[in-house]
Amino acid sequence: MLEELAKIREEALKKLEKVQSEAELTELNVNILGRNGALTGILRGMASLAADERAKLGKEANIVKQELASMFEGAKARMEERAEELRIRAETIDVTLPGVTDIPFGKLSPLTVVYRQIRDALIGLGFTTFEGPEVEYDDYNFTKLNLPLNHPARDMQDTFYVNDRVLLRTHTSPCEARALMTLEPPFRVVIPGRVFRVDEPDASHSPVFMQMEGLVVDKHLTFADLKGTIDTFVKAVFGENVRSRLRPSYFPFTEPSAEVDISCTICGGKGCSSCKGTGWMEIMGCGMTNPHEIENCGLDPHEWNAFAFGVGVDRVACLKYGINDIRLLYEGDARFLRQL
Amino acid sequence: MKLPLKWLKDHVQYNVSHQEFATRMLLRGFEVAEIIPEMKATGVFVCTIDDIEQHPNAERLRVCSVDVGRRDENGEKKNITIVTNAQNVKAGDQVPVALDGAVLADGMEIHPTKMRGVVSDGMFCGGAELGIGDAEYEGAGADSVLVLNEKHENGEPIERALELDDVIFDIELTPNRTDCQSILGLCREAASALGQRMAEPEIKPVEGVGDASEYAGVTVLNETLCPRYLARVVTDLKIEPSPKWMQLRLKLAGLRPINNIVDITNFVLLEYGHPMHAFDLACIKDGQIVVRNAHDKEIVTTLDGKEREMSADMLLIADPAKGVGIAGVMGGLNSEITEKTKVTLFESAVFLPENIRHTTRRLRHSTDSSARFTKGVEAVNAEKAIARAIELVEQLGAGRVVGGLIDVCAKKPAERTVYADIAHVNRILNTELSGETMAELLSSINVPARVEGDKLKIEVPHFRVDIESGLETDWDIAEEVGRLYGYDNIAPTLMNGDTFQGRLGASFAREDEIKDLMTAMGFMELYNYNFTSPQEYDALLLDENDEKRRTVRLRNPFGEDQSLMRTTLVGGILRTLRLNANRKTGHGRFFELGNVHFDNNDDLPEERRMLGIACTGAGESFYTLKGVIEQLFAALGAKELRFERGGGEYLHPGQKAVILLEGERVGELGGVHPRVRRSFELNAPAYIAEIDFFKLLSHLASERKFRPLPKFPIVPRDLAIVVDEKTEAQQITDAIAAAKTAVTVENVRVFDVFYPKEPGEKGIPEGKKSMAFRFELRSEDHTLNDEEINRTVNQILKALKFRLDAELRS
Repeated sequence: MLEELAKIREEALKKLEKVQSEAELTELNVNILGRNGALTGILRGMASLAADERAKLGKEANIVKQELASMFEGAKARMEERAEELRIRAETIDVTLPGVTDIPFGKLSPLTVVYRQIRDALIGLGFTTFEGPEVEYDDYNFTKLNLPLNHPARDMQDTFYVNDRVLLRTHTSPCEARALMTLEPPFRVVIPGRVFRVDEPDASHSPVFMQMEGLVVDKHLTFADLKGTIDTFVKAVFGENVRSRLRPSYFPFTEPSAEVDISCTICGGKGCSSCKGTGWMEIMGCGMTNPHEIENCGLDPHEWNAFAFGVGVDRVACLKYGINDIRLLYEGDARFLRQL
Repeated sequence: MKLPLKWLKDHVQYNVSHQEFATRMLLRGFEVAEIIPEMKATGVFVCTIDDIEQHPNAERLRVCSVDVGRRDENGEKKNITIVTNAQNVKAGDQVPVALDGAVLADGMEIHPTKMRGVVSDGMFCGGAELGIGDAEYEGAGADSVLVLNEKHENGEPIERALELDDVIFDIELTPNRTDCQSILGLCREAASALGQRMAEPEIKPVEGVGDASEYAGVTVLNETLCPRYLARVVTDLKIEPSPKWMQLRLKLAGLRPINNIVDITNFVLLEYGHPMHAFDLACIKDGQIVVRNAHDKEIVTTLDGKEREMSADMLLIADPAKGVGIAGVMGGLNSEITEKTKVTLFESAVFLPENIRHTTRRLRHSTDSSARFTKGVEAVNAEKAIARAIELVEQLGAGRVVGGLIDVCAKKPAERTVYADIAHVNRILNTELSGETMAELLSSINVPARVEGDKLKIEVPHFRVDIESGLETDWDIAEEVGRLYGYDNIAPTLMNGDTFQGRLGASFAREDEIKDLMTAMGFMELYNYNFTSPQEYDALLLDENDEKRRTVRLRNPFGEDQSLMRTTLVGGILRTLRLNANRKTGHGRFFELGNVHFDNNDDLPEERRMLGIACTGAGESFYTLKGVIEQLFAALGAKELRFERGGGEYLHPGQKAVILLEGERVGELGGVHPRVRRSFELNAPAYIAEIDFFKLLSHLASERKFRPLPKFPIVPRDLAIVVDEKTEAQQITDAIAAAKTAVTVENVRVFDVFYPKEPGEKGIPEGKKSMAFRFELRSEDHTLNDEEINRTVNQILKALKFRLDAELRS
């Protein structure tokens, strides 16, 4: 029987060499190690043998069985590996074909993106959001802000009127009056919103635009504090390397008043066509709140003082993204929105 | 306001570059918008014509050998060739020549050109090409090549040779600085910016002969609208062009010279910033000026020959018989200064700014004078102006000055002194300046100040009406001191005192959330204008009584089509859909979060914030939009969302629903009505929803709580039932929700509806349809067994049978 065992082993190894497919391998496995396989037959036939012979053969048979089993296993693994390799090769694709873009892609307006950036910068400086109506009382939009009827500076802002008392707010500043009259000082508020001016739309004008206003009310605020706040704000919105400067200007609701310039975001201050060679870009107005406004809103200007600044969100968006026509912000062309 | 450098140099030492000057002015609050060269033409040089020959091929042309100062390496002359048709030049003449690259006054560029076979290297210029006339240079007014009167270096730029190489600063003024609508006002600031102090010019008084009252009288009938009227009379006028120097100044500042008398008034307008007028006194009946309100519909023909209809609230300058001028705006044609004028009355008056503003607006006519009256002029300056005009009359020998100043003045201007608290000024600016330093700064702009104790005593000069006496004084002075000290010299500080906790308000946070969710679902954000046209509401098929017609109307819109404030976002969004379809942008999903306004009987309108959502294009349907709203509301934590048939007239009658949260209607959605689509020129079906933002907010769970994930398996089941064909999905969901079931039933969703094409198809009787739906069963505490599942399914079927007469489809 030992010879038979050796023969089975011989033959199995010979056949294994010739095996081509997984199916042939399985068949071979079944024919030898299976329930009715050749090797199993030998093991089964051992019952008739003498004990010592049985032990010897059994030991031998098990060695062969294990040897073959492990070889079959190895062959199988190799075959599987090869099959996978072939499959992977067959799955090779042209990676330069275009991607699938069926899923519609949403976008925030650049106005919202810039508004959030400014707002969050100010929240970081301790400001709280505040808002008021777009259609306002003349009283809040002008009179309370030290712009009584017939004040020449009312001409600075061409106004859409609804009637003698009601108008479309020309700036977010009426919310200053609302904040001064309703909030308990000291406070810091940031006021975003739409404002309206009688400006025929062109590349740099829009009759509707977005403004944001900051108002700080406290007891010992100075012009130097205003400068420091503006500087921090400008760096947060435009970047650490951007410098700001204040230069004298005039607004009826602030005194002293200033215009804020930032170092040109295009050329960095060397002078280019965007900044008309000056190296500076005008970005917003600011100032110490006029004592008349504080008094008109029910606070004592000798106890409380304030400063305020207002920035055009549209203008910042145009500067940041290099948009050359403000009307694009209000047109809703998907190709425009997709870009930004 | 134009400030010619030549004029500036009369009053200050100009010793910096133009750019440096512009920067210094800017940092004092005066922005130089433009630096304009005096001579418009560039690239033109002095040359000498050495030799002239007849052009070989053209009778009217001559070929000149011209020396523009060029020499070769051996120092030999290197002449150029100019072909000219000018007949007035001869060999030896010095003339201006435009060389390659030159730009003439009219914008024409000069390059070498072949003229009948001979190349001309440039072109000789006359006054027109240089943009100058006789006022700038004797002879430049002639229509020929300008032959220079005196010797210049060949090759010298022509602007330098003619002394026209200065510039004009175009300066933007802030409305508070009315004093700077004048050369003198700007020179005061410029002097200080250059580290100097302008000496206020002294006007030499002219006594005159006789008394003006013998010639003229002035009556002011409305002292409110005309607080001061000054007049002087000049006889024996010699009307002629004003002298060159005066003409040049006027032209540099942008005014056209007319004759000596009118030029004097314009010169004073520029110099002192106070508008004046000169009447032909012979045309004034009895020599009597009456300042009165116009009659309604009274016609005045102004100097420009236009008839203008007045109204009773406008101020008129008249004589006893007729109007002779519109106060503060323009004189009348009937009393114009002409060559024949022998006697004139100079007017220098103060009119109420708001009245002049009103008049210019109503007449739609503004002038250099009205612009200044509108911003505000003052009474002392009016007196200086007329004195200066008379001084100029004398200086020019334009006529015989009559003695006596006619001065009708309701209230004589008083000297003003204010006191500023030095410590307070320093507190506002966060500076530590001494009172003396402050006084010095103010003196540099001719505002006299000195220290008195802890105060600064300031004698406010008449021209600084912007410095207030009262509450604002300290702040006004702080602004002046800060401005003159330099904002740049004030070091920035961080606010001290309390620290503040910055906060994003709840509704602001919700806006962010909604916008982020909408973009995540593929929607692009819109900002549409708030203006809309009355026709839009017809286009939206809105009923006459529809609330959305309660619009706010603008009094001064751009046009009728933009005369209303929107009451809905729908119109704007539909227009955006059309724009994107027309431009084939390939995107059909858009949203806007914006305000709408409803009229509230002349008071502030009711403002609502709306969320508009729209979609159009392949794959979009009522259900895709509804799905978006369901997902949005689920993500926001909206409570008890339901949809019911209904909604606005602009929606498709068979495809519209109102959106309810906890039973309150918060919005609507639907297909856009085909007729509305036609009006908005939308070809493809479109779907739109509009949701009230603040109503939505009131139904959102304020806190989200975690619910443990199901521990035991969910059992999904599908059922198909036969129901009445009018049955809607919501009824099935409601019936199942109402059924008393042994285990939790969740996520009921109808996924198929089948209408038989003919009665009896697939065993469905007439008037019925089949609805297939899926639901999920689960238990919190164990795995469901078959018995429980079957019992629940039966309970569901029983409920459907009971409520909807539904049969299980076999």
